[in-house]
Amino acid sequence: MSDTAAREARVLDIIETARGKRPKFRDEQITMAHGAGGKAMGALIEGLLLPALTSPALDALGDAGLVGVGGAALALTTDSFVVKPIRFPGGSIGELAVNGTVNDLAMAGARPVALTLSLILEEGLSAEDLRAEVEAIAEAARAAGVAVVAGDTKVVERGHADMMYICTTGLGHVDPRAALSPSALRPGDRLIVSGPIGAHGTAIMLARGEFDLDATIVSDTRPLWPAVDALLARAGAGLRCLRDATRGGVASVLNELARASGVAMLVQEAAVPVDPAVAGAAELLGIDPMHVANEGVLVAAVAPEWADAALAALRGADGPDGGAFARAAEIGEVRTSPAGMVLVETGFGGRRVLDQLVGDPLPRIC
Amino acid sequence: MSCDDAHCITCGDDGEPERVLAIDEARGLALCQGQDGARESVEIALVAPLTVGDTVLVHAGTALARLTDADVVV
Amino acid sequence: MRYVDEFRDAALGRALAGEILGAVEPGRHVKVMEVCGGHTHSIYKYGVDDLLPENVELVHGPGCPVCVIPMGRVDDGIAIAREPGVILTCFGDMMRVPGSTGTLLEAKAQGADVRMVYSPLDALRIAKANPDREVVFFAIGFETTAPSTALTLKRARAEGVTNFSCFCNHVTIVPPLRALLDSPDLRLDGFIGPGHVCTVVGARPLEFICADYSKPVVVSGFEPVDILQSVLMILRQLADGRSAVENQYRRVVPYEGNLRALEVMAEVFALRPHFEWRGLGFISHSGLKLSDDYAELDAERRFAVPGVRVADPKACQCGEVLKGVIKPFECKVFGSACTPERPIGTCMVSSEGACAAYYNYGRFARERVVV
Repeated sequence: MSDTAAREARVLDIIETARGKRPKFRDEQITMAHGAGGKAMGALIEGLLLPALTSPALDALGDAGLVGVGGAALALTTDSFVVKPIRFPGGSIGELAVNGTVNDLAMAGARPVALTLSLILEEGLSAEDLRAEVEAIAEAARAAGVAVVAGDTKVVERGHADMMYICTTGLGHVDPRAALSPSALRPGDRLIVSGPIGAHGTAIMLARGEFDLDATIVSDTRPLWPAVDALLARAGAGLRCLRDATRGGVASVLNELARASGVAMLVQEAAVPVDPAVAGAAELLGIDPMHVANEGVLVAAVAPEWADAALAALRGADGPDGGAFARAAEIGEVRTSPAGMVLVETGFGGRRVLDQLVGDPLPRIC
Repeated sequence: MSCDDAHCITCGDDGEPERVLAIDEARGLALCQGQDGARESVEIALVAPLTVGDTVLVHAGTALARLTDADVVV
Repeated sequence: MRYVDEFRDAALGRALAGEILGAVEPGRHVKVMEVCGGHTHSIYKYGVDDLLPENVELVHGPGCPVCVIPMGRVDDGIAIAREPGVILTCFGDMMRVPGSTGTLLEAKAQGADVRMVYSPLDALRIAKANPDREVVFFAIGFETTAPSTALTLKRARAEGVTNFSCFCNHVTIVPPLRALLDSPDLRLDGFIGPGHVCTVVGARPLEFICADYSKPVVVSGFEPVDILQSVLMILRQLADGRSAVENQYRRVVPYEGNLRALEVMAEVFALRPHFEWRGLGFISHSGLKLSDDYAELDAERRFAVPGVRVADPKACQCGEVLKGVIKPFECKVFGSACTPERPIGTCMVSSEGACAAYYNYGRFARERVVV
């Protein structure tokens, strides 16, 4: 081996060791990037929160923590919602606050049972806005089949919150058919998304009116338990892991799973469903839809022999015509190497690395 | 979004072909539509006069050129 | 869409890749620099380099205006953002570029009002909506972006918007190219010309690359078929022993450029005697400032700007990486002091920069094998 080749091999080893290590939290202050679902948030969670709060359930870094109570397998999760604006095409903060949390339960294979609701309201918020959001919460909870069993209300001075923030905590009952883990992926497994991606983040961005851009895009916020229920019923034995592709988009989910399982992934870009309006707006703004947040799209990793059953289950999960999951699609498969990396075969025929972002282009998306 | 995030308009020195939908000559702006339907208003001083239906190359909210059929793909 | 879809056609791409394989001299290693960050992005987005034979290498040029901004100018921008009453507007990609003491994103976290815009016109809109605030546009970019800034400044004056000003960091493409070409250790065989810069300045300013340095130049569009076609045109020039400026992007680029854009730039801007580039040092006549006629809209005259020069770290070898003299891993600070999370040089600041891409994609970047 030549000197140069030896040096290259040595440097690559150093980098791979560094990348494999738990990220360090070294920033001197919090910036918007720390809440954006990318690498900066990963460093905050794995570098500061996990070391201090470690527990087996937390360390698994699932969407919900698993807790056994007197023989019952429960999933517990919590989520805060600070979306701006509070109402946007296709939904509002109240609906999001229910769906976001029940979806985190569903991703743990848990049927949502109960929610707590905590409201932080800004002085001056109109009663009309509040009433509308409370109704949205009630309606979304009915649709998701959960009861709101406890709550809390706080008011802060004008200027100390932006209209309203909502925190919900969800309790779910882990389905006995579910054996899910982010480290369970094996080469050959298939990757499935439950529908067109990128709608929520794009809808929010346009709803803010900061860009002089006009397109009709509606958020995809919806409960995902019906999809999970159908998957468990018809492909449960082959189901490796589920993730809802919120902040950081499908790209973040795939990267997290690839690292957790020590596998590579090869995604066929042409197979990824994206609505034309979303694709168009994303292209104008220079954003990859794979990095844009969703609020009603899950990613499933499935053993190859179960892939067809899983797709059929999803496509039938929302009524006979397919409904919300009619465009569920297999988008790629798990490979062996390069481990921890997600590659995309482009429609043009070349391949590229699909990385996670440092931070989301869009703060306060949920 | 940052340079090390997705790519961005200036960083990539990007340009988008967009179709002209309407022209506001008084303000020197045109309503343009990009691929698959997204719309924005665009400064057209550098390419006027335009006709509705023209395709222009837009960078950072300004039309830099009107597209023509000059290229032949080999 | 017309003018787009036909230039993303996979079959056409495969055919061109085949022609490229036939056009490259066996045993010869050809290095082609794509000058513009937009090309780098397309190459990455569509995996264009994956379709090239091993002995045709694309070298990423200095074409990302964000990454070439020196630390001192970022510091100046942060200082303006911290002035009371100021709203600093900038393109999103400026927010995380490190100055000597931090980024605009961090300044925002500390209370400065920094807002992301997609065009200078958006910044002017913010100024009109906030008449009691001073709104400053942090202008960056090559000749592609400079006309937008110039038109916005003219518009601000015409509409009598007095609370708007521009912190001008526009740069020009020819001087850094000449600086690269002048280095005795340059290892490049040809150039993919910056299509959108040429939309404004035309193809003529690139003729010196052929006349003075005998290297082929092809002004290229940004779709993957455009880039492959341009590579093929360069290889054919090399095979014929020619060096000429060819225009692959005629559907957009007139050989003479956009004369009205050049006029408005000449009215609003003036050349600085020299401007600093991260990784490349000071380059004469490579930066633009506001002309005396537009002095009242110049943020550098309206605010006390520190204007302190911050030297590039000595160990950084971005210049050599850009010239194709060394590979990223041969730089002394690569992967140790200089990482994507804490970049030192321009090649690490952008994810599309040679060093960042190499760091992030490691063995795949070299071996390109999926098992």
